[in-house]
Amino acid sequence: MNRIMRIEQLKKIYQLSKVKVEALRGISFTIEEGEFVSIMGPSGSGKSTLMHIIGCLDYPTEGKYYLTGQDVAKLNDNQLALFRNKKIGFVFQQFNLLPRATNFNNVELPLIYAGVPSGKRKDIVLKALHSVGLKNREYHRPNEISGGERQRVAIARALVNNPSIILADEPTGNLDSKTGHDIMKIFQKLHQSGNTIILVTHEREIATYGKRIIYIRDGLIEKDEVVA
Amino acid sequence: MILQGLRIALNSLWANKMRSFLSILGIVIGVGAVIAIVSVGTGSTQQVTARIANLGSNMITVYPWMTRGQFGRVGGTVSLHKFTLELVEHVELFCPSVKKAIPVKTLNSRLITDEVNVNATIIGTRIDYAEVNNYEVAQGIFIGESDDLERRQVIVLGSQLAADLFEDDSPIGETVRLNYENRIFQFTVIGVMREKGGSMAGNLDERAYIPVSVAMDRLTTHKYVDSFIGQAYSSEGAVNAVQELEYFLMKYLQDEKKEQFRITSQDELLETVSSVTKTMSLMLGGIAAISLLVGGIGIMNIMLVSVTERTREIGIRKALGAKNRNILWQFLMESLSLSSLGGIAGMGFGWIAAYFLSQYGNWPFVISGISVVLAFGFALFIGIFFGLYPAMKAAKMNPVDALRYE
Ligand SMILES: Nc1ncnc2c1ncn2[C@@H]1O[C@H](COP(=O)(O)OP(=O)(O)O)[C@@H](O)[C@H]1O
Ligand SMILES: [Mg+2]
Repeated sequence: MNRIMRIEQLKKIYQLSKVKVEALRGISFTIEEGEFVSIMGPSGSGKSTLMHIIGCLDYPTEGKYYLTGQDVAKLNDNQLALFRNKKIGFVFQQFNLLPRATNFNNVELPLIYAGVPSGKRKDIVLKALHSVGLKNREYHRPNEISGGERQRVAIARALVNNPSIILADEPTGNLDSKTGHDIMKIFQKLHQSGNTIILVTHEREIATYGKRIIYIRDGLIEKDEVVA
Repeated sequence: MILQGLRIALNSLWANKMRSFLSILGIVIGVGAVIAIVSVGTGSTQQVTARIANLGSNMITVYPWMTRGQFGRVGGTVSLHKFTLELVEHVELFCPSVKKAIPVKTLNSRLITDEVNVNATIIGTRIDYAEVNNYEVAQGIFIGESDDLERRQVIVLGSQLAADLFEDDSPIGETVRLNYENRIFQFTVIGVMREKGGSMAGNLDERAYIPVSVAMDRLTTHKYVDSFIGQAYSSEGAVNAVQELEYFLMKYLQDEKKEQFRITSQDELLETVSSVTKTMSLMLGGIAAISLLVGGIGIMNIMLVSVTERTREIGIRKALGAKNRNILWQFLMESLSLSSLGGIAGMGFGWIAAYFLSQYGNWPFVISGISVVLAFGFALFIGIFFGLYPAMKAAKMNPVDALRYE
């Protein structure tokens, strides 16, 4: 198996005007290609902070982060943008779709930034939308569809560039439990077709979709176990 | 990439129609002002130039002049009495570039018929006066050579005078009395001038023309004229003619310092006009530039608001792999679209304003290509210049902070 990700003694300290918040206090783990890992922990335990660093949206205060063998600390702004575009597909709790763009245009965005010519984009976008179970919603806007559908659009957008890894930060957090399970089934399917997935949640039920669960509390790993 | 950027920009501008419109108003007014001002400047200059050309062909006017006094003394010799008919007749002899020299003697008098009397400016002159000035006779004839030689008391009336004195009747052959300094002279009307309207020298239609010999020997006993007109053979020859006249008068009046006479030519008038319009254009152009600047600040303001409002969008785009330059370009495109929309609207606005002003002022409607290119180019420049700072601010945002922004 190929090692996709390695983090070593990752720390993140937020320096506020008076107090110092130690969001991450030394986290280390590795992730192999094709894994489906859940990161579970209570609210405020540092899960989102960790995901942002893994997603190349933020940088650690201390520690090492290698993504597909590359030391992320050594990348410049443009190379980071390229990593976010090609290697990572991020799914947010709040969907983070562009409100004025159609679903099609939202999913098209990573392809545009990847420089895929417009003639080739249409097929790729439609394929991605269909793969998450969305049909006949291509030209609706986010405010014209349900929360579950919005998250499907967001997942389609995350996987449209064939990233090395899909990151999902509480993807079911804004959904009712039935819709949440529907969304988790999509991740399950993506895992079965070979995608590497890291999922963050504070719900045990959701975490158990993963094949390995990393428990974190107060910025430290409590337990790292493989689920049967 | 560029088309994509343009589409995003136009979409986001369309989403805030009213705000976009208000923010480009400054540019609209600035560009419109530049185009209208340049058009008005060109059109009115053409009008004045045409009027000057209309003053007469290749016409040079020579006046006696008195220098300003200094230290309590009366300056220079008063040369009035030296401007005699004899001098005028010598001009043609000594100045080869001058085709004709025509004396002008101006007197104020009253013209009287049985019913009415009116004030009139009487011009004592010779046959060529009408031709040099491009004046035409509507009825009858102008003063002839023999009228002057034989000192006939004949008069040619301006159209307004003819109307005032004779109403609708033809005045040709009628007699008018001319009161000059309380002496009455009988004149026979031989012609009426075509209507000419106002000029730089008052209403031409309230003038009357008589032979210069009559004005000098019968009405007055003056030996001098008020001025004379020298006509050059061609407009190219006018410069030579002016030089020859200067040289001749310096010798004839024994006036090496050129203090006793003044020569004005059309060239000189045209130069004055062009320098005046240049100053005006500079001034108004400055005002237009300031309003463009204000317009630019308006765009910068709205772009800063737009960047702040869309912080989250910037975060999303960056999370999806937008490079700093993609974001920079997106916002720059937006401010550029704003300013060029403003430029286009301003061109239309300036065009319309210039048209109505030209109708109002009766000058030709001209839009110079340079002013359009200049105004539009300046608007684009302002879009880039004032859009750059907000766009850079957007491009440099940190993705997590932008995503977390509420
Ligand atoms: N930008 C920030 N500035 C200061 N403190 C922060 C910031 N982001 C997160 N934190 C703090 O770091 C800790 C971990 O937050 P977070 O990673 O969002 O937790 P989780 O996603 O597990 O709920 C919390 O105490 C939070 O208040
Ligand atoms: Mg969180």
